[in-house]
Amino acid sequence: MITTRSISGSSQSPRSPSSQPYLSVSVTDPVKLGNGVQAYISYRVITKTNLPEYQGPEKIVIRRYSDFVWLHDHLFEKYKGIFIPPLPEKSAVEKFRFSSEFIEMRCQALDTFVNRIASHHELQQSEDLRTFLQADEETMERLMSQETGIFKRKPADLMQIFKDVQSRVSDVVLGKEKPVEESNPEYEKLKHYIFELENHLAEAQKHAYRLVKRHRELGQSLSDFGKAVKLLGACEGNSLGKVFSDLGTKSETLSDKLQKEAHQLLMNFEEPLKDYVRSVQSIKATIAERANAFRRQCELAETIKLKEINLNRLILIRSDKVGEAEFEYNQLKAESEEATRMFEKIMRLMNEEIVRFQEQKTLDMGIAFHEFAKGQARLANGIATAWRSLLPKLEACSSS
Amino acid sequence: MIATRSVSGSSQSPRSPSSQPYLSVSVTDPVKLGNGVQAYISYRVITKTNLPEYQGPEKIVIRRYSDFVWLHDRLFEKYKGIFIPPLPEKSAVEKFRFSAEFIEMRRQALDIFVNRIALHHELQQSEDLRTFLQADEETMERLRSQETGIFKKKPTDFMQIFKDVQSKVSDVVLGKEKPVEESNPEYEKLKHYIFELENHLAEAQKHAYRLVKRHRELGQSLSDFGKAVKLLGACEGNSLGKAFSELGTKSETLSVKLQKEAHQLLMNFEEPLKDYVRAVQSIKATIAERANAFRRQCELAETTKLKEINLNKLTLMRSDKVGEAEIEYQELKVESEEATRMFEMIVRLMNEEIVRFQEQKTLDMGIAFHEFAKGQARLANGIANAWRSLIPKLEACSSS
Repeated sequence: MITTRSISGSSQSPRSPSSQPYLSVSVTDPVKLGNGVQAYISYRVITKTNLPEYQGPEKIVIRRYSDFVWLHDHLFEKYKGIFIPPLPEKSAVEKFRFSSEFIEMRCQALDTFVNRIASHHELQQSEDLRTFLQADEETMERLMSQETGIFKRKPADLMQIFKDVQSRVSDVVLGKEKPVEESNPEYEKLKHYIFELENHLAEAQKHAYRLVKRHRELGQSLSDFGKAVKLLGACEGNSLGKVFSDLGTKSETLSDKLQKEAHQLLMNFEEPLKDYVRSVQSIKATIAERANAFRRQCELAETIKLKEINLNRLILIRSDKVGEAEFEYNQLKAESEEATRMFEKIMRLMNEEIVRFQEQKTLDMGIAFHEFAKGQARLANGIATAWRSLLPKLEACSSS
Repeated sequence: MIATRSVSGSSQSPRSPSSQPYLSVSVTDPVKLGNGVQAYISYRVITKTNLPEYQGPEKIVIRRYSDFVWLHDRLFEKYKGIFIPPLPEKSAVEKFRFSAEFIEMRRQALDIFVNRIALHHELQQSEDLRTFLQADEETMERLRSQETGIFKKKPTDFMQIFKDVQSKVSDVVLGKEKPVEESNPEYEKLKHYIFELENHLAEAQKHAYRLVKRHRELGQSLSDFGKAVKLLGACEGNSLGKAFSELGTKSETLSVKLQKEAHQLLMNFEEPLKDYVRAVQSIKATIAERANAFRRQCELAETTKLKEINLNKLTLMRSDKVGEAEIEYQELKVESEEATRMFEMIVRLMNEEIVRFQEQKTLDMGIAFHEFAKGQARLANGIANAWRSLIPKLEACSSS
């Protein structure tokens, strides 16, 4: 039993008695390594646990973004049906700029990623997770270079695969391919909800980002204005000049407040919205996997039927190929049963996952919007107070 | 004695007993006339007065921008030494757009312009003012087109003349021309102050305008955000969806507040700052006139001296050109005395004007900055209240 942890991903001190199992992970201390095009960021991943499968109470490893991708892809392949927690985008452009804000947001997102895996009752038992959290750096690098198949691809290619899968799902939904899709009205409703949600979320996130930008611009404008008014005050002298100076200083103070709030907006609101978008995209990938599994099950069921017909025919004509045909038939039957099992497992897991997702998202979004409103109220309050404190002086000036 | 009026220029009902003199003017009802390139705006100018020089208690005439320019230029020529109230810029670009805001700002500025003239103890007695306020439209058009000399020039040419004058003043101040300038340390201080003031004011006004723009952009951003979040709410359903919808609605409400405040900022703060800039430019034009008058006085004094020397020489030689020379000398002496009187009048008037200017400007600017701080405080208060009212609902959502 793993202790539940908050999504903020802070490492939780093990207050529980040493017999109670815990797994606590944190991603910290981003450090820029390498030069130019080769530059990358390394993170410290600290694991605190008393689980027997792990080495000792604390383990610290160094990981880079592509290691997280490795973990994500392995989990995606092995745990079909489960919504694998999403990764932050590998932004090729921003990497070169490596702004401290970008680095902070990425570190936070990676920490959230690992913690969600460690909190998930199925995913936390994954061997790949243990490898990720404990293997030394050389082993990790060796594993990365050994990757074959889709694992060997760069993230850009993975995006392409996702896009193919997405378009395939759309084709299936739109009925462009041969209609090998489930006729499950509740599932149709879910798919429709997910696709609509992604669009609206992306819109909301885009505008939330613009809101951050506008806060910054207003802050900059207030700062420039404050400086100009202070110069005016120095030029005027007398009581009017003093008023100008006070107003200028106040403007600069408020400019600071606005910049701080813009940063808070970004970290506590816009980023969670972006995270929500990624989660929904992860669900779309699982929807595609389910469609694949369904199609495979159908194809195998059809193929078996044909094989059975053929086998009966061969038996009737007493052909000497009967043995071979029977062997193939049994093989296919096993595959078919396996495919059916896989599909049904995905369905079952998805049903649980949907519930888990809805609950978690309601909580996360509630917190995010709460933070948004609180931050806005706090900022506005500070601004109102600042200007009001200036009014008596201005009144004195305009009446004198 | 003219009843004092506020520079807001609203027409004041004559509460004073009918025997007390009053002159009340207002510029109202802008109407767009003409088409395309020929389009212009006409204004109603309403004069209420009991002064004998005026026709009857109330007179309404139709005037256009170039009529105001006519009045300004005539006053500038006739009342050297007095800071003629400034006109709003003739913006050739904005005219074609004729936004309601532009029209309102221009009307307000023209109303202030005429009222300042009507309140000025010297300018209010001007015959040109009476013509402007009373002549029928055909007469006005005839007068406008009859202008010769500098009056016949378009406003852009005036700008060029002002620029020439300004550069001439700069040349004089910098001592590039022959050093025919007053050696008056207090006056030097004043000139220096005026030039410095203009720079700082222009900077402050520019940033005040940007502040208005940023308010609008933030408002627009909040509106877009609100719409996107409402769509998200409709898609989600359940309690989270309801929270989204309320947040979206609140954002749209605040967007409207921001747009209103942006407009207030423009009318009650940025425009007064711009008016201050124009007033300072008017002072610079008067500074140039004073320099011209000083130079003329000096030149005539020198020429008179030379003529006197020449006359004495001719008298000694008993030349028959003595009579002619004496006439010329007398004429020059009269001109020289006139020029000296003119210069001294300008000096005297300017001294009074500076005091009047400083007082009026301290008052105007005090009011403008007071309005600024009040408006900002009011806006911030409204925003703080709006977000705070939402927080309990969001708290309920995130804890459920």
